Amino acid sequence: MATYQEFIQQNEDRDGVRFSWNVWPSSRLEATKMVVPLACLFTPLKERPDLPPVQYEPVLCSRPTCKAVLNPLCQVDYRAKLWACNFCYQRNQFPPAYAGISDVNQPAELMPQFSTIEYIVQHGPQTPLIFLYVVDTCLEEEDLQALKESLQMSLSLLPPNALVGLITFGRMVQVYELSCDGISKSYVFRGTKDLSGKQIQEMLGLTKPAAPVQQGRPAQPQDHSISSRFLQPVHKIDMNLTDLLCELQRDPWPVPQGKRPLRSTGIALSIAVGLLEGTFPNTGARIMLFTGGPPTQGPGMVVGDELKTPIRSWHDIEKDNARYLKKATKYYDALANRSAVNGHCIDIYAFALDQTGLLEMKCCSNLTGGHIVMGDSFNTSLFKQTYQRVFTKDYNGEFRMAFGGELEVKEMGLGGTSQWKICGINPFTTLGIYFEVVNQHNAPVPQGGRGAIQFITQYQHSSTQKRIRVTTIARNWADAQSQIQHIEAAFDQEAAAVLMARLGVFRAESEEGPDVLRWLDRQLIRLCQKFGQFHKEDPNSFRLSESFSLYPQFMFHLRRSPFLQVFNNSPDESSYYRHHFVRQDLTQSLIMIQPILYSYSFYGPPEPVLLDSSSILPDRILLMDTFFQLVIYHGETIAQWRKAGYQEMAEYENFKQLLQAPLDDAQEILQTRFPMPRYIDTEHGGSQARFLLSKVNPSQTHNNLYAWGQETGAPILTDDVSLQVFMDHLKKLAVSSAS
Amino acid sequence: MVAGNQEKGWNDPPQFSYGLQTQAQGVQKRNFLNKRVPPPQLDGSQVSLPSGAPLPAKPLSPTLPLAPPPSTVVLPARRLSAVDSTALSASAHTECEASIEDVMGLLDWALTACRTTVKRQVCDEVSKRLTLFQEMWISGKLSSPVKKRMYYLAQELKKQNWDSADETHRSLIVDYVNEVSQWMVGVKRLIAETRNLPTEVLNAEGPSPKEDTTQNTQ
Repeated sequence: MATYQEFIQQNEDRDGVRFSWNVWPSSRLEATKMVVPLACLFTPLKERPDLPPVQYEPVLCSRPTCKAVLNPLCQVDYRAKLWACNFCYQRNQFPPAYAGISDVNQPAELMPQFSTIEYIVQHGPQTPLIFLYVVDTCLEEEDLQALKESLQMSLSLLPPNALVGLITFGRMVQVYELSCDGISKSYVFRGTKDLSGKQIQEMLGLTKPAAPVQQGRPAQPQDHSISSRFLQPVHKIDMNLTDLLCELQRDPWPVPQGKRPLRSTGIALSIAVGLLEGTFPNTGARIMLFTGGPPTQGPGMVVGDELKTPIRSWHDIEKDNARYLKKATKYYDALANRSAVNGHCIDIYAFALDQTGLLEMKCCSNLTGGHIVMGDSFNTSLFKQTYQRVFTKDYNGEFRMAFGGELEVKEMGLGGTSQWKICGINPFTTLGIYFEVVNQHNAPVPQGGRGAIQFITQYQHSSTQKRIRVTTIARNWADAQSQIQHIEAAFDQEAAAVLMARLGVFRAESEEGPDVLRWLDRQLIRLCQKFGQFHKEDPNSFRLSESFSLYPQFMFHLRRSPFLQVFNNSPDESSYYRHHFVRQDLTQSLIMIQPILYSYSFYGPPEPVLLDSSSILPDRILLMDTFFQLVIYHGETIAQWRKAGYQEMAEYENFKQLLQAPLDDAQEILQTRFPMPRYIDTEHGGSQARFLLSKVNPSQTHNNLYAWGQETGAPILTDDVSLQVFMDHLKKLAVSSAS
Repeated sequence: MVAGNQEKGWNDPPQFSYGLQTQAQGVQKRNFLNKRVPPPQLDGSQVSLPSGAPLPAKPLSPTLPLAPPPSTVVLPARRLSAVDSTALSASAHTECEASIEDVMGLLDWALTACRTTVKRQVCDEVSKRLTLFQEMWISGKLSSPVKKRMYYLAQELKKQNWDSADETHRSLIVDYVNEVSQWMVGVKRLIAETRNLPTEVLNAEGPSPKEDTTQNTQ
């Protein structure tokens, strides 16, 4: 019998699913009492090098309200060629192509190892992928040059038959006609006037005069000869587009002293959305917005052009003093929704020292599955390499990006289906799905049964094929009263921490910070009361079983994380961190909640250590990964040895190797992470050591250092509560009969 | 691996070569640094030092003379560091011997082959960029690794190793974009057009003198 740890890992590897509870409570009331909701993290396109797609279409349940896909959990009558749907119990005939099946000749989708299976379905015309660049020209010369080079470079990374288009914006918005003959024309729009999709299409000449729509083919992309003026295959216009990019100039409008440049980001995006909406609805398309500052005019502006009026801060927002916030957010939200309806995604690459309005614009990427990447300048490795990685390929040499994703979830009993549009999706995109057990307490799910859930993900593969990935999973139902220890053992604390954190982040978007923290605390106390072992009113007796042992620590670090604390972060930064938190897979999300800390020493191989100030020792090197930052910290003695140059001496080769080991490990993370993290190499007493000091649990502070008696670790100058104090309070509250 | 731009971005990460990056992307992540230690508070024990660590015998304070690091202790297991081992970048350090004549000879051969079927305007555009490449080479504006890789690319083109030639063009534009951005697209298009040519056309254009010699020696 495998351990739950192994079971959980196997299921994640095979199906890309992690459930908070791997045994399910059999009634709504019992589910509520378990505090952490029944939910899962699901990675729809998890990479499966061992799973080649099959070249036929899925077989669907014939009940019109069900349409679940045939799967290994279905009961099959091989003689009568019938199968019973495991979601609605409908009996279905196999299609004629399945006439030859028998219990020794099964199609793949009936075999237990194919709980996840991918189908290639070919109907409708194949349309190429579309990349529409929307480029801010209000940049400093150096930044614009770096951006132009990266865009030119990207033409070499795109699939050769992809369609590309170019829109630039500053005070005006320019839409370029791309042609092969080297003459470039552009349409110029004012950046201040809001235009409807239809108006944009008319102004660009994209609407055919009174051409009757062909009956029965309404969803076909429109006449491509019209749209091809703006969107051309990269292999045809790469030379001209390279030249065009090369000749791009900074926005020519003079910017008076004390003013911001006039930047029409809102209209530029609106034109991009309108252009694709009119020409390629429901086709894989990516709008890539590159911007170096906030929108300052027209619809979607987030700040005026007077430099003396700073862009909104958290303080302004709390005081309801952010003048453009609501209007701009509403504007971008509408654009995002239009884009999502058409299956197009919007990336935002925002590189500037000040805020650029990500808070207002984030919905464009959040609702369409686009990327957000934020940094200081386009002339940084952080931008250049992160942008390169948008075009990374997998083990098959296929792009790690998919388009037009749609997820359908089928749950047992209800026969109901829930559907979501994801649009842009990659192998790491991970969704949090929260379930509800609907059985009433007096009519629980019968004992011994298994519950099933089916995930159906339809998407356009980067090879332009339409594909459907189907994952069908089952878990046991259990009676939460008589079988509480089963349920307890089946708790996945890592998944639970991430799923609760996502709920917390969701709340933090609309509620006040302290309210969210109080909510999290209450949930944690209730969970400890339910699953802890203790004698009433005796905090020292409190114990949690192994499957819960890390959970309180996760919650402690989550409370301190930038996902729930806005102190020291701008609204744009908070939006950025949260954007990544709610889309990464479990491992990465957990790194964001509680950074990883490894210690390197002469005493053995690198080892994980507590994220605690007591781990900061003079003869250690620490490597901390917070997802957004990689920190290498040299302890005091190590730093002195390094300064004295021991690593240069032959007899201290081992010291040289010790210095090198964390660098190598960091390099491995740097090579694959998206987006590129910041990289901090620091030492004891270094100003940048603050990145480590602000993350570790302050177990030793200036307040308790002397009480501690021993001089190990590094005291942190903070009044923040330590994990020890947090745990003491938690135990006290959990065992108290009053709470 | 090149250091990031610290002037423009705080703690800008280092920049990896195209070869290193694609190498890293091909393999699935090892996820090796993902372990955590449970806090001691829950099982009632006191906070302990990281396991396996002897207590520091003496506090090493900066006022005392610095004791040297241990020199005979067992070495920490060292992971194989990902060395930038691509032949291309390794060769960057050696002096470039390729001549512009060799490289242009092969590129011109491909362009001539293209002229039989490809639109004249496209060929002229490619030619314009090849000329620019030639001028930059002659006036010493190209670095040695760029020249080396272009030589390699031209060889691969000649051998009809299209994927390899294309991959080399990508490595050049990713690693040396500021040197090559103006003309590389011409090379890119040349590779794309040449690989689409019917084989008769390519073979009719005659093998290069180099291949002649190898055939003679056989």
